[in-house]
Amino acid sequence: MKLKTIFDKRLIKQSARAGLLLVVVAALTLEATSLIQYFYARHGLKEECTRRAESELEATKFQIMDIINQAESAVRNSAWIAAWSLDYPDSMSAVTRRVVEQNEVVMGSALALVPGYMKDHELCCPYAYEAGNGLQLFSLATPEYDYPSKEWFTKPVEQGSGYWSEPYLDTGGGGLLMTTYSLPITDRSGKIAAVLTADISLDWLTSLVEDIEVFPEAFSMMISRQGEIMVCPAETLVMRSNVAEASSLVEDTTINRLNRSMLAGESGSMPIRFNGKVNHVFFAPVERTGWSMSIVVPETEIYGELSRMSLLVTLLQILGLAMLVLILRSVIKNSLKYKELNDRKERIENELRIGRGIQMSMVPKIFPPFPERHDIDISATLHPAKEVGGDLYDFHIRDEKLFFCIGDVSGKGIPASLVMAVTRSLFRTVSAHENGPKRIVTSMNESMADMNENNMFVTFFCGTLELSSGHLRYCNAGHNAPLLFANDSIQHLPVVPNLPLGIIPGMEYQEQEIDLDHDDALFLYTDGVTEAENVSHELFGEERLQEVLSYRRSAQEHLQAVSDAVSEFVKEAPQSDDITMLFLHYLNANKQSVKQRHLVIHNKIEEISKLAGFVEAVAGDAKIDSSLALNLNLALEEAVTNVVMYAYTDGADGPVEIDAAVRPGEIVFTVSDTGKAFDPTAAPEVDITKSADERKIGGLGIHLVRKLMDDVTYKRENAKNVLTMTKKI
Amino acid sequence: MEVRINTEKDLTTVFLSGRLDTPSSQEVAAKLESLQDKASGTIVLDCSELKYISSSGLRIFLSLRKAAAAQGGKVIVKDINDDIRNVFMMTGFLNLFEIR
Repeated sequence: MKLKTIFDKRLIKQSARAGLLLVVVAALTLEATSLIQYFYARHGLKEECTRRAESELEATKFQIMDIINQAESAVRNSAWIAAWSLDYPDSMSAVTRRVVEQNEVVMGSALALVPGYMKDHELCCPYAYEAGNGLQLFSLATPEYDYPSKEWFTKPVEQGSGYWSEPYLDTGGGGLLMTTYSLPITDRSGKIAAVLTADISLDWLTSLVEDIEVFPEAFSMMISRQGEIMVCPAETLVMRSNVAEASSLVEDTTINRLNRSMLAGESGSMPIRFNGKVNHVFFAPVERTGWSMSIVVPETEIYGELSRMSLLVTLLQILGLAMLVLILRSVIKNSLKYKELNDRKERIENELRIGRGIQMSMVPKIFPPFPERHDIDISATLHPAKEVGGDLYDFHIRDEKLFFCIGDVSGKGIPASLVMAVTRSLFRTVSAHENGPKRIVTSMNESMADMNENNMFVTFFCGTLELSSGHLRYCNAGHNAPLLFANDSIQHLPVVPNLPLGIIPGMEYQEQEIDLDHDDALFLYTDGVTEAENVSHELFGEERLQEVLSYRRSAQEHLQAVSDAVSEFVKEAPQSDDITMLFLHYLNANKQSVKQRHLVIHNKIEEISKLAGFVEAVAGDAKIDSSLALNLNLALEEAVTNVVMYAYTDGADGPVEIDAAVRPGEIVFTVSDTGKAFDPTAAPEVDITKSADERKIGGLGIHLVRKLMDDVTYKRENAKNVLTMTKKI
Repeated sequence: MEVRINTEKDLTTVFLSGRLDTPSSQEVAAKLESLQDKASGTIVLDCSELKYISSSGLRIFLSLRKAAAAQGGKVIVKDINDDIRNVFMMTGFLNLFEIR
């Protein structure tokens, strides 16, 4: 028990370890799969986001460029007239007016003369301005304004090409965000004489940039060449803060690199951490203006869906693994339970096996049981349907009397086997001192009926065979009638049914008797033989049984033949009942049958021809081969010829009587006649070693008789010559 | 019982068929009577179809053998079956005849 507990514990440990390993492997596999999936999805999302951001930047830039181009065209288209107006300074104002009037995007326009270009006009800068209520004209050539110092004037003059100013807030108008395009105007000699400008409002820019919607949480920004914030969701910063100042609040220093890239007019993307979150910044320059546009997408926005999905997947995995653990636990528990059941079953089976061994040891099992005896050939078998059964047989010899029995306990299995044990013990005990089957059966019935609380009964057949005489006494207690083999036929032994043992105390059992001859036999069996069922529920039956038993075999061979026939018949159908058989072959040399034949012939030589047929018949009785038959024929012919030739004198007619007796182991011929006394055995031996010349013609007949037969005796009795010749077979 | 005698110069073949028992020996002895006087050549007893022989049959064989011996001839016994060979052995006839 202790060992078993240790073993069980080890088993639990092993199972648990295997289960744990399974869970770990499953978890790792699931995790690896979802990781791969996660990274691919993440990569895809990033690409998608980049693509969308870039296309938005591109589209916005396109729209900006459209307006920028319009403004540039407006100025460029008026450049020739501005150049022309240099000759007519009064008309310069009209040029500015024309620029504003003819171009919807242009809010204001100035034509600023390079100081010193004209002798009489040191400074000249007419300015046309669309102020909601109409076009206003005034001059910017005031000492306070000092236009030659302004960036919009100096830069194009320095560069000699068109220039977009830094955005600025319109101080004169409604605080609009503005920018100015300035183009240097050259005179005929190619010298820069003036600068023509167009002011455009950037109001549309704010809404355009703000309308960029890549993701709900994303926002866009635009900065100027100098880093001035032009568009930003935080309106307080617009035009009031430089991007460098705004960036100083951001803890991630990567932003400085971003600022540098943007100011350098590069395009690309960069992750920046601020407000505790990672944001992806996509940026691109707007050519010519020096502006840089950016879209800021919080990472949570890009991967938000993915994170939610991953969370869900992880939750599902945890749930699945938890279920796996539960299932494994219950499997391990169940397997332990199963093992316990199995152990119990094994223990019971083991006990049953031992029980079977005990039961089998209660019936005689060594065959032949009486090897020294030649008068009885007995064999028996018992095949319980289950490990143990309720059938029994027994036999023993006491005082030259064979006591034998067969029985079948009602029911099967262990209860039946216990009753079987009791029955067999009772038989042994009772038959040790009782002589008659009736007394044995009656006595057993008393004991069994007394203690029969479970209403179990036993069909029983008991016999006693007096081995010297073949006298059989038997008593049947409700068992099926045994088969009797006698006179070359098989029939049921006549039995009075009576009642099985254990039913009625005080039951009067009837005894019967019969004389067995030499070579008679009895076959006792239980109904398990005849009621053996095949898969189609057909019974083996009495007819098949008798057919199998109709051959001449030893007791043991008979039982084997029946067993084989039953197995062959039932095939794979399970054995439904115990199968028990007992075969008893009675062989009494003193009572054996003798087959006799008799022939009388006259003392004529022709009559001798009759001998051949006679010997053939005898040979048939004795079942001997043709060579031996021929030898017997020769011996008999020589003996009879002797009588025919010499017994009766003077041609007197006389009979020759021939008797043949076939007994087990020998054939005996007797030749007798009533002629004169003559002993052929007294004739001298023929010397067969002599040469042909020395050999006599006669004397060969009796020589052959002596040679061919095992024993030859002559006697004269009742005035008869009697020659007896015996041949052992 | 059937007996056929075929003589070619010095060679006489006697074909015996069936059972040579006491009754049939009498006829066979009569049929072979003539051979007794001209036994100077070779007499072949063809026993291939002979099934049985009793002492009366053996006597015929022996008297032929004696006659031949007296006249300088010889007797050959041919093709005896196992049963007859056994009888020949029991009677010492195996040594008296040339058996083929």
